[in-house]
Parts: sequence; C-alpha cells; structure tokens
Amino acid sequence: MKKQLLCGILAVSLAAALLAGCKKEDSKDDDKKDGKKTFTVGFDAEYPPYGYMDDNGDYTGFDLELAEEVCKLKGWSLKKQPIIWDNKDNELNSGSVDCLWNGFTMTKRESKYTWSDPYVDNSQVIVAKTDSGIKELKDLADKTVGVQAASAALDVLQDKEEGQKELADTFKAIQEFADYNTAFAELQAGSVDAIAIDIGVAQYQLNSRGNDKFVILDQHLNAEKYAVGFKKGNTELCKEVNEALHTLKKNGTFDKLAEKYDLADMVCLEE
Amino acid sequence: MSFSVILSSIAEGMERSVGIFFLTLIFSLPLGFIIAFGRMSKNKLLQAIARFYISVLRGTPLMLQLMVVYFAPYYLFGFSIGNWRYPAIIVGFVINYSAYFAEIYRSGIEAIPKGQYEAAEILGYNKIQTFMKIILPQVIKIILPSVTNEIITLVKDTSLAFSLSYMEMFSIAKQIAARETTLMPFAIAALFYYVFNLLVSVIMEWIEKRMNYYR
Repeated sequence: MKKQLLCGILAVSLAAALLAGCKKEDSKDDDKKDGKKTFTVGFDAEYPPYGYMDDNGDYTGFDLELAEEVCKLKGWSLKKQPIIWDNKDNELNSGSVDCLWNGFTMTKRESKYTWSDPYVDNSQVIVAKTDSGIKELKDLADKTVGVQAASAALDVLQDKEEGQKELADTFKAIQEFADYNTAFAELQAGSVDAIAIDIGVAQYQLNSRGNDKFVILDQHLNAEKYAVGFKKGNTELCKEVNEALHTLKKNGTFDKLAEKYDLADMVCLEE
Repeated sequence: MSFSVILSSIAEGMERSVGIFFLTLIFSLPLGFIIAFGRMSKNKLLQAIARFYISVLRGTPLMLQLMVVYFAPYYLFGFSIGNWRYPAIIVGFVINYSAYFAEIYRSGIEAIPKGQYEAAEILGYNKIQTFMKIILPQVIKIILPSVTNEIITLVKDTSLAFSLSYMEMFSIAKQIAARETTLMPFAIAALFYYVFNLLVSVIMEWIEKRMNYYR
C-alpha cells in the first residue's frame, strides 16, 4: 500500500517536472531557430515605458521595440531577458545578457561600459503628492525620498561634485526600492514623501495613477542621456547595434516608435 | 491588461513555480538521506563534512545561495553562464532543502530505540534489512509532519527564484503590478500560493492517515 502510494506520488511529480522541462526545451529551440544569432537584451520588466509587460502579457516598451527592429535589420533573433536591476553588472559581465537596454543612463557611467550613441535626453526628477506642499527641491528638507536601488537617480543623489549630494544631505532619509511600483505604493501610503525618478518613467506612472494626485517638480535634479550599454570592450557588437540604430533613425522607424511611446520630445539620436 | 490575461500570465508563472517545486523535491528528498547518513556516520571525516554542509546551508539565506550558485562559475572560473539560470536555481534549492531534510531524517532515525536494532540482530536481520524493514517505516511516520512543514515552506520559497530573474509566479506578479501600477496582482498570487499549499497539506494529511496502520 505504502509503496504504491510512494510510486504514485513519484510518478506524478516526475511527470510534472518533465512537463515543465519540456516547456523549457521548446522555448530554447525558439531562440536558436534557423541557426540565427541570438541577441540577448537584459532589461527591467518593471520599467514602463521602456520595458514592461503589454496587454497580452508579452514584454514590450520603447527600448524593446527598438531592439526588435535592430534584430530585424540584422537578421538576429531577439531574446528578451528580464533581469533584476541590482544584478545588471553581474548579468552583463558573466555573459548571460549581451547588453543592457532599458532606459539605461550613460551619463557618469561612460567609463564603466561600452556605449552606443545616446538616443534619449532624460532628466532625473522629483515626484511628490499634490497635497504634500512640496513645490521645489528645497522643500525636501527633512523628508524621506524614495529611489530605485542601483539607479541613476540614486547616483545623482550620492554624487558630491556634479550631483545633488548637498540636497540629499538635507533629506531625512533616502529609501531604496527594488522597483518604482512599490515606491509609488509607499508614496501613496505616506511612508515616503517624494520619489527621485527618471522623467519618462514618472510620466507613465502619473498617466496611469492619475495626473491630479502627483506632481513632477519643475526643478530637475539633472540632465542626462540614455544609451545601450555593452560589456566594456565589446566594441564590435556595440558598433553593429549603433549602425542599425542610425539606419532606423534614417528610415523613420525610430521616430515612429518614439511617438508611439510619447517620448518624441525626449529622443536625441542624430542621423 | 484584461483580468483574464492577468490570470493566465500568473498561472503561467505558477507552472514554473511548480516546476521548481517538484524538481527540488525529487532531488533533495533522496539527497537528504545521504547527508543524514553522513551526519550520523561513525567516520569522523564524513561526519565533519556533513556537519559543515548542513551548518553552511542552514546558516546562510537561500537567496544568497542562489546567487552564489548562479554567478560562481563566472566569477570563480570565468565560464560564460548563458543557459545556467534554470539549472542554477534547481541546484540552489536542492542543496538548501537537502540540508533541512537531512536533519529531519536524523531526528526520525535517532528516535528509534536501540533495542530494536538489537532485537533485529538477534532475529538475524542484516543492517540493510534492519533499516529498510524495521527502522524506515517507523521513521517515515515520525518525520511526516516535519516534512510537510518543509514542503509547504518550499512552495512559498520558490518565489525566491525571482532573485535570479527567473519568471516564476512572484516575478510575473511584480511585473504585472508595475504595468498596471496597482498591487492587486500580489493578492492573486497570494491566492494561488494558498490554494497550492492547501492541496499540499490535504495530500500530506491523507498520506499521514494512510501511515497510521498501527493505531
């Protein structure tokens, strides 16, 4: 009796595991069909509008669609690999992704990666609740400010020379979050007073959560640029992607996508 | 994103979580026995190794172990780790859980009175027969509640695979939450975990009842 039982359980679990295993095999085959080169893009799937889940549960966003177009041009097959942003350097260095392409700030990180040409003019901004009374940066004194861990916004707040370290020193605390959705939930709940965030992401959040509830302060923390980041020294791949980006700019695809994601005011790629 | 898409995405994540769950059980339950025997071995070296294994794996966070398993091949040996993500998750979970199971097995095995071994010896059982026919059936009955505990924890721990960017249920819920800018997907994920665990505990209770043949 007992043996039958154990056998039964084992059989069921083996079957389940095998099923799960088969699923994976399938997707692996997809990646390598036709012997095409696989181009693996690492991105943060919680970073709309640059990379996120669409209506059907597939990954999309301005940056991912650009990557798709680049792959179409080059005849590569694109693999979208969502990553934990904290781990981006490990993922890139260890070769599990080919590049980081997800609203990735180039400014101040120039020497750490091999970069494509910058394609978006970004700013780091402060978002606060409309009724919080925070109108300018100096109102943030003695407030708790939320920011994404390992993000460019955090770098700005910690940079003494050209950043806003002086301003950050007036804060009561800087609270780091893994993703901006949690940060906004806490902002709504009142456990942080403001959030330091990329302007494009801020606009998506405000459109989705209600423009009347939050404000983006007019004073920006800084101005910076987005580009595609490759592992330091990987100039060959970087050059190919860069050329493809310029081709997309020339044939109008780039601007069409920028329009689609409401980023037309911010793109800065030259022909 | 419509509700049905949200549900089906989370269900897809659930499938991956369940995959981790079964693979971990299949490998860690037997591996636990090997560690337990090492831990109870009269050979001092074996015992020391098993003690060290258990103390490290129980003494450090599972999330950290997963990251070590995943990134170590690159940082220690310089290998590129393109397809290592899923195997790394399974290896991480299996070694971690085997340490816990080993201690549970030991508690069960050591609960059996020495007299039974002596009686078995007099009756002419050899060591393997004694263990398989006399000790193990009792051990299983003793350890079942603790094993159930551990299995239920495992269901919830599968969410830690998010730290290696594996798209299991919790990661999917997070991404949907980011897209929808609400926290509602977490409630759905919680329900999925709960139902899964309810199923696990019902099955384990049933097994326990089945094992109750001496009462």
